[in-house]
Amino acid sequence: MTILEADMRWWNFLFSGTQPKADFVTAYEEKNQEKTPGNRPISQLNFVVLDTETTGLNSEKDDLVSFGAVLIRNEKILVNSSREYFFTTNILNRESIKIHEIIEPKNPVSDEFFAEEFLKYIDKHIIVGHHIGFDLKVIERKLAPFGFKNFKNPILDTQYLATRLEKGYHYDLRTGKPGEYSLDSLCERHEVPIDDRHTAAGDAFLTAQLLLKLLKKAEKIGVKDFKSLMR
Amino acid sequence: MSNVIIRRVKEFLKLYPPFSFLEDAPLEEVAESVEIRFFSKDELLFSKGDQAQNCFFVLRQGSVTLLDTRDDKKSIIEVCDEGDVFGVLALLGQRPYILSAQATEDSLVYAVPVSVFEKLLKENSRVSLYFAAGFASGQVVVRNDLSESQKARSVLQKNQEDRGLLIFTGRSDFNYSKDVLSCGPQTSIKEAASLMESKNVGSIVIVNELFHPLGIITDKDIRNRLVSKGLPNTTPVSDLMSSPVLTKKQDSDFSDLYLTMVKSRLHHLIFTENGTPESPVTGVLSDHDLLLSQGNSPAVLIKALMNTEDIAEMAAIRNRAESLLRYYLENEVTMDFVANIISEINDIIIEKAIRISQNQLEKEFPEQSQVKFCFVSLGSEGREEQLLRTDLDNAIIFEDVPENAFEKTQQYFLEMGEKIVEILLACGFQPCPAKMMANNPLWCQPLAVWKNYFSDWILSPNQNALMKATIFFDFRAIYGTKRFISVLREHIYREISSKNIFLNFLAKNALLNPPPLGFFRNFILEKSGEQKDKFDIKLRAMMPLADIARLLILSHNVVGINNTFRRFEKLAELEPNHSELMREAGKAYEILMRMRAIEGITHNNSGRYINPEKLGKLQRQMLKNTFYPIDELQKIIKVRFQLDYFGS
Repeated sequence: MTILEADMRWWNFLFSGTQPKADFVTAYEEKNQEKTPGNRPISQLNFVVLDTETTGLNSEKDDLVSFGAVLIRNEKILVNSSREYFFTTNILNRESIKIHEIIEPKNPVSDEFFAEEFLKYIDKHIIVGHHIGFDLKVIERKLAPFGFKNFKNPILDTQYLATRLEKGYHYDLRTGKPGEYSLDSLCERHEVPIDDRHTAAGDAFLTAQLLLKLLKKAEKIGVKDFKSLMR
Repeated sequence: MSNVIIRRVKEFLKLYPPFSFLEDAPLEEVAESVEIRFFSKDELLFSKGDQAQNCFFVLRQGSVTLLDTRDDKKSIIEVCDEGDVFGVLALLGQRPYILSAQATEDSLVYAVPVSVFEKLLKENSRVSLYFAAGFASGQVVVRNDLSESQKARSVLQKNQEDRGLLIFTGRSDFNYSKDVLSCGPQTSIKEAASLMESKNVGSIVIVNELFHPLGIITDKDIRNRLVSKGLPNTTPVSDLMSSPVLTKKQDSDFSDLYLTMVKSRLHHLIFTENGTPESPVTGVLSDHDLLLSQGNSPAVLIKALMNTEDIAEMAAIRNRAESLLRYYLENEVTMDFVANIISEINDIIIEKAIRISQNQLEKEFPEQSQVKFCFVSLGSEGREEQLLRTDLDNAIIFEDVPENAFEKTQQYFLEMGEKIVEILLACGFQPCPAKMMANNPLWCQPLAVWKNYFSDWILSPNQNALMKATIFFDFRAIYGTKRFISVLREHIYREISSKNIFLNFLAKNALLNPPPLGFFRNFILEKSGEQKDKFDIKLRAMMPLADIARLLILSHNVVGINNTFRRFEKLAELEPNHSELMREAGKAYEILMRMRAIEGITHNNSGRYINPEKLGKLQRQMLKNTFYPIDELQKIIKVRFQLDYFGS
């Protein structure tokens, strides 16, 4: 991080909420004013499936280490749309290094580059992730210095979707076996081929393949369009 | 820029031929282009007779069975395992599948686009040999190594020889001409052409005194080669013929015939007694014969469309229409005919979409569904000129209803418009960026409001109004109460006749588009952005012509001709002193439509931006020739509508 960026962060920290909006944030917000019609069939929806790795499990404090994502259009994973970014962090957490094995990031990207590319990339697509709330909070903090407030896209959690499809709407996750709806066990149950885990892009890729399968399942029980999918 | 996701796809592919033959860089290119799809148990990936998709498949996980259906009986031809490649018929061009593929378990499948792989087929001889060997031996699936169980399966399979025929629809299905029209090498082009005309065939085989084939000439060759070289029609055929010719024996393995023909990109194949050029000719097979035998005639497509309510199937049929379109364009079928067929197909799809939407809303809106309405297409679709599925422009005109019923009625038609537009998008059409669509409240209005719109545009022709006029004046009824259209049209002519100056504004607008050629007679190219150094064929050549045709036809009070080239034909009648020019303008427009559609189909885009560098010399000259009538017509309009005295 350059000294200038550090200063910027301090400035933003002190006057949080008053950051001027970057042009690309305005563009993002404008694009998202147009809503997806409820009757648009699933096969016509665009999804961006993403995952992040962080320095720890505290979404208020911990920092992004890496980001990975891929797009689904017409129920097809578009491999050439995949993205993977690494970041410089100042918090070095021993535990997380053990999991991700990322010590020295290769070709880290600047926050501004990421913010602009990311918002362009997610467009007004449906954001999908496993336990996505956590990732979005961390990303939100990353984007805050550019006047970004909160996500305007429709958001879909694969953990929620999977429980809903298997157990119905009102199932309480806490009553199940621990880890029953973790990405690992879901991939195993749905026969998604698992290779190396614990990279953001790798997990995003797994989640995307899982989503393809879940969407087909959903369609079979009559969840066929945007409205019923996002219910 | 490789990342984990691309690397994983790559590592998987690398394990299996033909991908294992690839160097790292081309393999990465293939991996990047992959699209991953999921098929649940029993789902069909493709069906026998479907147009081949623009990709072939590699099974990532699960199990897929290739089936043949004959007389409603299904027989298993192959069971694919992880890493198997199937659906490779796509590599032979847009031919129909001869087997069906069905997932027998939940399966993840990698789809590899043909466009990416075609290049490799040319560059890497091992890869092309691998595929060619597969085709020639009659295999649909290119297998890695036959595992023991697979070996057992193929041994158990009877009729091994039949397999060759299974790939293609079978030789007996093809009609080829046995009665070959032929002539000697010294025959003049003029004579050859009249022979072809009298027999009503498109090609003639040039033979020696022993009836051995020397070459072939098609009517297209005569036009292109004779014209481009400026030769006299007394030139002997031997100077112009394609030679040597591809020859085969009639009873040679059909997959072999097919592959030779497709790979060589030749339109004709000649059968001889022993299969070499050194024996007498016995028949000619053209790719036209092949296409007809594949059931891709417009009548078949239209019938199939009429009989389905299934949106995915409608989309599939529209895709098949596109390969028909390509064939027509390449073979110079008249534009009038092509535009007619494609518009007909588009209209049926729209009609279907309307019916489906009406049915879905009937219960919720019992009263409103009784209100009369008319669904209209605008812009290029309104002019019956939309060959590619470019932007949708459409609107709904409904009956005037009492004020207290308005809100609910508009809500009904808006919801209907929304549904219709969604179906059309699913059928591969593109949304209008300016939102001139039936799901926009502005363009979903009762007749009275529409009359006001047109009156407003005519009475205060500012830039915005004129822009709308150019799109909305080309409206055409697709479905519903078509009377609304004639009412509206009469209204427009009445308004224009009481405010003739509107036409002067429209004329001025028609001349706004920049000229296609610069001072030094070179193309004016885009200066920046993604389309830098390309020629905008729509803005600079087609729009000026369409605008002029509309203007003149309005000034003559002619009703009911929407098509630009038919408008010019009509104008040639109405203005005898300019008839030559009008006809040329119509021809020019046809040529431009054809060029744009070919560009669009080749590059899978709107075809709007053409790279003049990539055009052949003849095409470039043809394109430039289309500009001449634009120039002349613009001059006439300037004088006729006194634009030099008409302040801005």
